Amino acid sequence: MIGKNITIEDLVDDYPFSVTFLQKKGIKCIACGEPIWGTLEEACLEKNFTQEDIQQFVDELNTLNKKQN
Amino acid sequence: MAIDINKVLKTFGITDVNQGVSTGNDWFDTDGAITSSSSPIDGKEIAKVKNATMEDYEMVMKKAQEAFIEWRQVPAPERGEIVRLIGLELRKYKEELGALVTYEMGKIFQEGLGEVQEMIDICDFAVGQSRLINGVSLQSERREHRLFEQYQPLGIVGIITSFNFPVAVWAWNSALAAIAGDVVIWKPSSKTPLTALATQKIIGKILKENNVPEGVFNLIVAKSSVMGDNFLEDRRIPLFSVTGSTVVGQRVGGIVGKRLGKTILELGGNNAVIITPNADIKMAIASTVFGTVGTAGQRCTSTRRIIIHESVYDQVKDSMVNAYKSVAAKVGNPLDENFLVGPLIDVHSVNNFKNSVSKVQEEGGKILFGGEVMEGEGFESGNYVMPCIAEAENHYEIVQEETFAPIVYLIKYSGEVENAIEINNNVPQGLSSCIFTLNVREAEKFVSAMGSDCGIANVNVGTSGAEIGGAFGGEKDTGGGRESGSDSWKIYMRRQTSTSNYGAELPLAQGIKFDF
Repeated sequence: MIGKNITIEDLVDDYPFSVTFLQKKGIKCIACGEPIWGTLEEACLEKNFTQEDIQQFVDELNTLNKKQN
Repeated sequence: MAIDINKVLKTFGITDVNQGVSTGNDWFDTDGAITSSSSPIDGKEIAKVKNATMEDYEMVMKKAQEAFIEWRQVPAPERGEIVRLIGLELRKYKEELGALVTYEMGKIFQEGLGEVQEMIDICDFAVGQSRLINGVSLQSERREHRLFEQYQPLGIVGIITSFNFPVAVWAWNSALAAIAGDVVIWKPSSKTPLTALATQKIIGKILKENNVPEGVFNLIVAKSSVMGDNFLEDRRIPLFSVTGSTVVGQRVGGIVGKRLGKTILELGGNNAVIITPNADIKMAIASTVFGTVGTAGQRCTSTRRIIIHESVYDQVKDSMVNAYKSVAAKVGNPLDENFLVGPLIDVHSVNNFKNSVSKVQEEGGKILFGGEVMEGEGFESGNYVMPCIAEAENHYEIVQEETFAPIVYLIKYSGEVENAIEINNNVPQGLSSCIFTLNVREAEKFVSAMGSDCGIANVNVGTSGAEIGGAFGGEKDTGGGRESGSDSWKIYMRRQTSTSNYGAELPLAQGIKFDF
């Protein structure tokens, strides 16, 4: 289950589809070939997304994860 | 040389599942996540590593603190002797460690060997430096007083390395830290833990044979949920050396800076080659192709932009495209010495490459060569790309960014060399730069106060492939840190100014009278 406090590192390792999903939202998970540091929430706030946006991303990522499985 | 990876793994005692925490010669069983390392060459899992928990981190930290108390009292030349022996041991395992670097990270074997040679070189440098740690003696304004400066050991140095130089950067930092009397805690890239394990095993033997205290050279493989912000916030660590992206460096700088700790930040580059009408074009092309496609464009110093005078633009463009046509047949398995360009580190990097190829075209650029993801036999991992040349303008958003992959932008300039220098400097990053010219005025302007604003500014030498003898690092978004040669050792030490009174009087500085 993906939550807003998941680290980007874990997101990249365990849910690799998230990288493309977040890139489309303008959030880069990978820089210089390595996952950026911090949590999903922090990466979203850095790009000025609201808590509502973040919750929506979390929901969409979990839906995508279900489809992947 | 035919490389047998299984034999290489056996040499370093790497098994299916490996311990990921060491304090020198001792290794520890841990209960953290078990992560795996895969080769970008064929996508196959190489081995697994048991990561550290918070308890393991605390155990290592305690060991490091204890070791520092002892290590700082060892005379610097004696510490240098240990580093000398490490350098000799690295020489013995150069081929095996170079091959593992290649297999785990994807750079060609020649570059894998080069990486280990860098480790050896910095050990040699550090040995010499161990007898040259000095300070200045100054003239006191007071009679019978002596004023002097010296450098003392600092403490624990946190070293965070990146996948692209998975072991050399550790050596740059830890060889100098060790002779300085510091102890190190190394957190390697999660993509290349096995080369770190192998390195630790190579040095472990030396540490044991020479009774180096456990805790001087520490290694912790850990997820960022265990060793992330808390590592940076840890006030027991006075200095962090971090190699990574600008975005990671900003985070590190913010956290460590908030507690007034010290940092060496080695971050992104957007390195340019300037080719003037006075250049030896043949030399410029040969050098630049290594800069653009070497390590599949995954060096901090890889050439990202070529700024070409309009009078030689077409000649350079055609020569670059022709050179890339030759390189095209040499993209493949980096363990095979017939190939010059290996894979990118993973599929995410491939996607970034594809995005940059698309974006430069959306912004008005033109692809002159390559840009495709390789398919077919030998490329099943999906990590191989055809190096790309694109015509672009410096102000494009994508040109201002660093794409960690083999894509280079050709940018035209007109008029005098000052115009090319302005383009060179007009990016957020400031790591490496160079000019190709046989004109002394152009060359001297480039390396003058009005020239390149980068940490590295070369003349008739490309942007990548620095020697360890010079200080390595860059300005602006590259972070401002310096490591490796020259006087970089000073940041690993605590600077101390001392005044000693050997007279019977007690004069105050500035002639202040304070009688009571």
